[in-house]
Amino acid sequence: MALRQRLTPALPLFALAPALVLLPVLLVLIHTSHAGGVPLIGRFLTAALHPSLNPAVLNSLWRGLQTTLFTALTSWMLSSVIGVVLGALGSRIVWTAVLGSPWPATVVRRLLSPIRAVHELLWGLLLLQLLGLNAWVAVVAITLPYAALMARVVADQIDSHPSPALAALRGVGASPSTVLISALVPAVRTALLRHIGHRLDCSLRSAVLLGVFGLGGLGTDLMLSLQSLQFEELWSGLWVLAAVMILLDWLMRLHRFSWIGFPVLLLCLTAGRDQPWDSIWFSGSTIPSFQLTAATLTSAAEAFQEVNWPGVIGSTVLLSVMAACIATALPPLQMLLWPGRLSQRVHQLTWLAQRLLSPPLTAILLMMVAQPSLSLAALALGLHHGGVMGRVLADELTNGSSNRATALMESGASPRISWLYGPLTESSRSYLAYATYRIDVILRDTATVGLVGGAGLGWELIEAISSFHGWLIGWLVIAFAMLTLAGESLSERILVSWNCKAVPL
Amino acid sequence: MSQGLELQQAGLKGRLAPTDLTLQPEEHVVVLGSSGAGKTTLLNFCNGSLQPKEGSVQWNDQCMRHLNRRQRGAVGTLWQDLRLVEELTVGQNINCGALGRHGIVWALRNLIGPLEIETCFHVMAQVGLDRSLLNRTVTELSGGQRQRVALARLLRQQPQVVLADEPLSALDPVLAEDVLRILLEQKGCLVSLHRPELIHRFQRVLGLRQGELVIDAEPSSISSEQLAWLYGNG
Repeated sequence: MALRQRLTPALPLFALAPALVLLPVLLVLIHTSHAGGVPLIGRFLTAALHPSLNPAVLNSLWRGLQTTLFTALTSWMLSSVIGVVLGALGSRIVWTAVLGSPWPATVVRRLLSPIRAVHELLWGLLLLQLLGLNAWVAVVAITLPYAALMARVVADQIDSHPSPALAALRGVGASPSTVLISALVPAVRTALLRHIGHRLDCSLRSAVLLGVFGLGGLGTDLMLSLQSLQFEELWSGLWVLAAVMILLDWLMRLHRFSWIGFPVLLLCLTAGRDQPWDSIWFSGSTIPSFQLTAATLTSAAEAFQEVNWPGVIGSTVLLSVMAACIATALPPLQMLLWPGRLSQRVHQLTWLAQRLLSPPLTAILLMMVAQPSLSLAALALGLHHGGVMGRVLADELTNGSSNRATALMESGASPRISWLYGPLTESSRSYLAYATYRIDVILRDTATVGLVGGAGLGWELIEAISSFHGWLIGWLVIAFAMLTLAGESLSERILVSWNCKAVPL
Repeated sequence: MSQGLELQQAGLKGRLAPTDLTLQPEEHVVVLGSSGAGKTTLLNFCNGSLQPKEGSVQWNDQCMRHLNRRQRGAVGTLWQDLRLVEELTVGQNINCGALGRHGIVWALRNLIGPLEIETCFHVMAQVGLDRSLLNRTVTELSGGQRQRVALARLLRQQPQVVLADEPLSALDPVLAEDVLRILLEQKGCLVSLHRPELIHRFQRVLGLRQGELVIDAEPSSISSEQLAWLYGNG
């Protein structure tokens, strides 16, 4: 009996194949490269070995670090608390237990979607228009989307862990609140604590990013140093940031289940910083007056027509896809080229370095050797998110078993092949689930590198904000939100088809 | 120059006392002993997945630690937990046995779809697997079918010596007989078992008790009292 051969590519190939996008990206970069910046890159790299120890620089960095840490920790704690509460309200299981019907959960989820879909940078720039330069702007800008994202994760986790104890506890006549606390909390506790721990790293990176765009803190110092080509000062800031990231990561791993004390302690340490504390409340006079007239409708329509929507949305999607491919494929490719425990440590350092540099900073560094282009923006975005995906991969590898790799090695397979068929194949399902989620994040992040690509919604939006073009800002934010929601919907379908659910990082 | 596997004072504190042992390439050997007696440690020394703290293990006069890829492939193992690649199909899993003879490009192509299908069919027939299972993921198979896939992968490896760690545990009598027959058809094998009634199918019996090699004899010379003592009775 002849059997037809079925080509069913295995999951590890889906993790590696996106690396092919590097070929056109690198070709474009080579084509648009210029030698002028090579000495600058050399200076940048050598400055890593002798960062500036000037007391004035260090003092400025310390103040910047206090602001960044305060922003990150406050927004992290606020978003975690609000997110858990909203997440419970967005859970179908919770509402079914309380009301007997899940419909309020759908309403809560729908209301939170647009808040989540707008990038914290856009929230920051919009709030800046309303509140002026205020220390709370960055905190609120991060808290809003992060709380909505946390709510989604909490709701998804609760709904994907239908505890068998629910029915049993209901049967003994316990109240709905007792049933929920007893049956749901133990089931989702570990995954949620892990996710909350990871969000601190994200909050820190977001706080730095907002600083890069002028909202104060370490990010502002880094951007100013880079723009004035003071690489020694830049590296002082980068080393400080790296130390903080490693320290927080270590604390989280060390005390995963009793970590709340450390951020509170750090918060107390940074609260005494010498930055004026303005009120969070803003006067109504900062909100532009608005009346719905025929003239305003006309200007809204005119603003809509100013944008070439197919081109702008197309380039945003292309940028996201290219960056997502790079971010997904780079870490497993690195491990495939150089597998082993020692090399994993080296790779982890490079992933940390990639996370350390915000996409705009990476883009500026790349622009020293190549002209701005969509490929350059994709590489900058892909490298940064590749650092995040590398961390995910490292976590997966740490949690996985080495039995299969041992068996393959003993049958004579090379370390590279043993890694491909062993740990990578084992972790590829959950790794790809994270990658699928990451596409949404990258789509939102295109706002931060739009300026570099000179294309896409990010570019248009930053131009609109710079020129205080209110209607255009509104249209672009709506477009961004809709695009992000479409991406989310697509990624959810892919996850369902793979029968897996990732806790997004 | 000695051929086959040779343990020279190989031991690991608390698991296996320093042991001297030579296994000829075409010998069929069974290892008996109660749980925790050191059978798995002995097998892991022999396949190189565990290095002894004392002494050495050699294959054809070469230290196991210094064997190259092809030489390592000469010793095949049927693991107790099978160690199949759960995400891959039957054909792709069977081809894992040939990974030691191929490079990364072949390995990547095998992930697209199983290569050398006729060879896969041949070994599937040897272990009694229906060829229609070639493209099925191993997670879809029954316990017995998974055991047969692991055996087929071992045959695909074409080892000179087969090591098998309790390969008959939890198998029904028909499948157990099939597995034992296939193992005994190999040139040489070292099989750990909990079935003393099967020792007459082998040429040599090793008995381990509390981490020490206490029996090394032909099956015909072993008494039922010795076997009872080996398992802690009497």
